[in-house]
Amino acid sequence: MRKALTLLIALGSVFAVVLAGCKSGDEVGPGFNDDKVFLGLFVSTSGDIASFGTDTKNGVELAVEEINASGGINGKKIELRVEDTASDPQQGGNAATKLATGDSVFVALGAVASGISLNAAPIFQEKGIPMISPSSTNPTVTQQGDKIFRICYLDDFQGGACAVFAHKDLKAKKAAILSNQDDAYSTGLAKFFKAKFTKLGGEIVAEESFKKGNSDFNTQISNIKGKGADIIFVPAYYNDVALIAKQFRAQDVKTPLLGGDGWESASLTKNAEGALEGCYFGNHYSQEDKSDTVQKFVAAYKKKYGETPSSLAALGYDVVYVTKAAIEKAGAFDRAKVLDALRGLTDFQGVTGKFSIDGDRNARKSISMLKIQGDRFLPVRQIAPEEVE
Amino acid sequence: MARMFGILIVAIAVTFGLNWLLDSFVDDYVVRIINLCGISIILAVSLNVINGLCGQFSLGHAGFMAIGAYVSAYFTTTLRYFDEAQAKYVAIEPVFAGQWGFVPALLAGGLAAAAAGAVVGIPTLRLKGDYLAIATLGFGEIVTIMITNFEKVGGANGLPGLPAYSNTFWIYSFVVLVVMLSWALQRSTFGRALIAIRENELAAEVMGIPASRLKVTAFIYGAFFAGVAGGLLGHLLQTISPATFNFMKSIEVVVMLVLGGLGSMTGAIVGAIVLTVLPEALRDVESSVGLPGIRMVVYALVLILLMIFRPQGVFGQKELSLKLLRRLMPGSKDKEGEA
Repeated sequence: MRKALTLLIALGSVFAVVLAGCKSGDEVGPGFNDDKVFLGLFVSTSGDIASFGTDTKNGVELAVEEINASGGINGKKIELRVEDTASDPQQGGNAATKLATGDSVFVALGAVASGISLNAAPIFQEKGIPMISPSSTNPTVTQQGDKIFRICYLDDFQGGACAVFAHKDLKAKKAAILSNQDDAYSTGLAKFFKAKFTKLGGEIVAEESFKKGNSDFNTQISNIKGKGADIIFVPAYYNDVALIAKQFRAQDVKTPLLGGDGWESASLTKNAEGALEGCYFGNHYSQEDKSDTVQKFVAAYKKKYGETPSSLAALGYDVVYVTKAAIEKAGAFDRAKVLDALRGLTDFQGVTGKFSIDGDRNARKSISMLKIQGDRFLPVRQIAPEEVE
Repeated sequence: MARMFGILIVAIAVTFGLNWLLDSFVDDYVVRIINLCGISIILAVSLNVINGLCGQFSLGHAGFMAIGAYVSAYFTTTLRYFDEAQAKYVAIEPVFAGQWGFVPALLAGGLAAAAAGAVVGIPTLRLKGDYLAIATLGFGEIVTIMITNFEKVGGANGLPGLPAYSNTFWIYSFVVLVVMLSWALQRSTFGRALIAIRENELAAEVMGIPASRLKVTAFIYGAFFAGVAGGLLGHLLQTISPATFNFMKSIEVVVMLVLGGLGSMTGAIVGAIVLTVLPEALRDVESSVGLPGIRMVVYALVLILLMIFRPQGVFGQKELSLKLLRRLMPGSKDKEGEA
């Protein structure tokens, strides 16, 4: 007993000595020095959704490179610190804590998945570090605190915009829905689509759902078939969408499918083998947009990475320029002033369109509805927030 | 008994001091990792009673954690959800507002998990080996699917806004509790009986050990602490979702046990610490090498190498003790001492 106690005390004192050498826990670093400003990026560069994180990171790095080449922000070069969230909420929180403590970052950018952003938000909120998510579309993310922002549209707007598009542009009266019941993104879009479509006077003739990992959708398709739907809303990710489309066509259902930004992928049309011809989906931007901003970005991205930038890359690129705009507007490297500048940011022209940050710290911007033709996603039209409200 | 109680008091006082020290001198990132280590220790030590001592292969720990996390969150967190009937957002105020309610909330979470453990354990513990593993895996999946479809707690979205009550003091107090209880349990008649069941269930029954009852008891014990650990993790992460408690979480705890040595409590503790610290420690390696994802490759490689060269885990079934340390010291006279 005495020996154990001695050991305990010895261990305790060793610990105390080690601790005394460390830095105090409550301090938040300024986030910049004489010639550099530190920006943090926490995205998934490994795990389930690694491709989303990697695209975002590529977009961010391209923007940082451009800004540094043209003199930085208010004379300071950007130093980017990247932490991997491994597509896991717990590790996402660890990554965020790492960026927030010690030699803290000035502004944190991330994450892609809403689930991970929700885990990071309270950490940055508590430390008073602005967090800007490039692509977390779930409404609850920015409700976590007054220092949490995003530059993408929300799921409720996206679902509503799809309903408006189906009703007004495609003249659909009857719609069917097929969603993934395990995925908050999918169920959210389905819910908002249904609410808006019925409000516009349309009718939902079938509501079917599938589970994560399913590869046979024939039962659901049989239930939808013969209900006379003019449009089938499939808010799912591209890998499921390709399979679903093929099985619809195999059952001889020719009705066009409609979806959200989860459809976007270079492999979508390849996997669908023509089954998605003439279908529509809503996205953050269109690579085929003729505007200078978009074409300049697409060219620079292709040159650096050898591939066409996805929406996530475009949002990653924009989020760095939003940060730059906010710091320049604030006129000083002061987090409180930058937060004010972000809250009042209006008419920012980015690759993903012109937008403002509203009172709920969300971006108010248009959605681009695209039509699938061969391997190309052709812009049909943009739907502004006013049309959906 | 009095001695045990004394150690408990001293240990809790130490965690209180530790909490103060960490809070005032160490940066939050390190504190967070230390706290996560504590939660992993609770998980691994409690699962060791089921998988290691009793030899029942359970993969349901994440399910119990989820129950503990959501039940304790119910007592501490304001739930906001969209009510279809009223067509507006509704808020349910927490039962225990304020820090004082944290321990009752944790215990409630633990008890709910224990109750689920009884419900699951009584029928499934008649199964053996792979079959039990599959049944418990199924249980974990059922729990996450139920939560996914339960809108009041956020569904697939997750439940944000849990108060940040978990600190080093609470976490390590429960670590001390579970370690001391499991240590005492291991050396009691009950623990010996569990080991007998592990070694040969038929022989144990012939000796008059009520195998089914003891197995269920061990299962409930493990489930209780998994529930508490889930509650602690929830109030550390502040947002819980079904994805936090998917079956990979169960596998992770099993890996901690296997790494440390199945059946060894100190092994479980070492496994828990190593597997929690390793991916974080490798972050810096990753950024210096410039290869994202290499961290997970190294992590997997360490596990593979260990299983090739030491399949029984770091400690096998042995416990790390002062006696063992002394025996391993060069020039020691205590060579004959039992480890």
